[in-house]
Amino acid sequence: MPAVLLAVLISLPFWTPSRYWVSVAIQALILAVFAMSLDLLLGFGGMPSFGHAAFYGMGAYACGKLFPQLTGGGLLAFLAAGMAAGVIAALPIGALAVRARGIYFLMLTLAFAQMVWGLAFQWTSFTGGTEGMSGIPQAVPDWLQEQGQNVWPALRTAGPFYVVALTVAVLAFAGLTAITRSPFGRALEGIRENEGRMRALGYPTYRYRLAAFVIAAAFAGLAGATTALYNGYANPSQLYWHTSGLVLIAVIVGGTRSLLGAVLGAFFVTIVQLVISSYTEHWQLLLGAVFIAVVLFLPGGLISLGRLGWLRR
Amino acid sequence: MRLEARQISVRFGALAALASVSLDVQSGERRALIGPNGAGKTTLFNVIAGELRPASGSVLLDGRDVTSLPTWRRARMSVGRTFQRSALFPRLSVSENLELAVRRGALGGRRRAVPDRLAAAGLSAVAERPAVSLGHGEQRALEIELALACEPRLLLLDEPMAGLSGAERQAALARLRDLPRSVTLVIVEHDIDAVFAIAERITVLDHGVRIADGTPAEVRADPRVQEVYLGRS
Repeated sequence: MPAVLLAVLISLPFWTPSRYWVSVAIQALILAVFAMSLDLLLGFGGMPSFGHAAFYGMGAYACGKLFPQLTGGGLLAFLAAGMAAGVIAALPIGALAVRARGIYFLMLTLAFAQMVWGLAFQWTSFTGGTEGMSGIPQAVPDWLQEQGQNVWPALRTAGPFYVVALTVAVLAFAGLTAITRSPFGRALEGIRENEGRMRALGYPTYRYRLAAFVIAAAFAGLAGATTALYNGYANPSQLYWHTSGLVLIAVIVGGTRSLLGAVLGAFFVTIVQLVISSYTEHWQLLLGAVFIAVVLFLPGGLISLGRLGWLRR
Repeated sequence: MRLEARQISVRFGALAALASVSLDVQSGERRALIGPNGAGKTTLFNVIAGELRPASGSVLLDGRDVTSLPTWRRARMSVGRTFQRSALFPRLSVSENLELAVRRGALGGRRRAVPDRLAAAGLSAVAERPAVSLGHGEQRALEIELALACEPRLLLLDEPMAGLSGAERQAALARLRDLPRSVTLVIVEHDIDAVFAIAERITVLDHGVRIADGTPAEVRADPRVQEVYLGRS
């Protein structure tokens, strides 16, 4: 299934009717990275964060604040800055938040994220306040800009940033897959299932939970940096709890405990948000209805539909 | 591993769960800890394992004071335990449960150790099933095997026989009897036949106080024990 999805995405610029669909795909890919990072916490670690936008927004703001210095370093410098910003914010927040569990963890992460948002909103001299920061370059490497179009003619219509977004998403998927299948990932699942037993087996569970929190924040920062580059700005809405809620819905609708489920959920949410909203203002109603239906009738998320179909064949 | 718990006191609000209880278990010994419900047996296990910090008193392992060490550090000093109510990883398979428990050596070696563990616990046939789908007897067998897979030198067993059928009880008893003398065993158990079959010494708790400590014959003859415990059951 990942191979099919990848084939569809690589070929998208060839058959897409317009550039609009490329921009939808780019935004879906960015949300997919963000959703996969949250799934590491929620699905694998059993830690329901309602403040994940803090690290996404920090990634975007790092690019906005540092772009004069980062431009020389190119695309990788921006992406690395986004990840670093996520890590730096997650260390103190995580050190406190992962002491709590369940609903208390959820409320704490929400509170910390809203503090970060409040800071960005009010510290106008440093963050640009409501306006945020704009003028961030796309930082697409020259070789991609110039020669990419010769190798892959479809890029003339799609624009080279599609390659950037797709590459970031594929690498994030590969990286997070490796993490979830490593002994660390297995231990994280053990902690989700039964933390007391993991302690009794000799695992320092606090450190594992904190490490998961920081890794998830790094990938959220990566997604935030990518969105800042694509859109050219960082603003407080990227830090707001609406953003945390949207990515949470994406993961749950797509299917927790599955990175592919998070990707699926991200595409679903993006299509509803961008495409359905051009036909009706009530897209949030549709998203809410789907969310409720999935929670009640399809606890494994949309990805579990694929598994059901697979079994029947 | 030698275990010394010295004058442990634990209070939950106004309730004195343990009042200056001491326990001295020699290396390789088989010790039973008995007493009516609410006597403080599980509380004492939690103090020894590190889940509960006592209000006063200290815990020593091979002479080293570990009172301030967290659970996971004591586990790495080879303290293993089982839980009264099975504490498994419900949605993981039986094999994955055991993979998490086998910690020694490289990853490949850990994986290779799992089939032996499955066979020893009689769980090979259900290896790929999620732990939550097992029957009660199988869950109890996995509960014990998770603790054994860590190769403990001190093993705390909290009612390992609870709810087992006759045949399952015999299997569990045989598994415990076969443990090498390099393992020190402390067992909390209500099944008196099992206690007398395994234990070399018995400690009796009642309402957080140690009321007897001795060989099975001594404890059986103790009038206070007969009064508060054996007489009542």
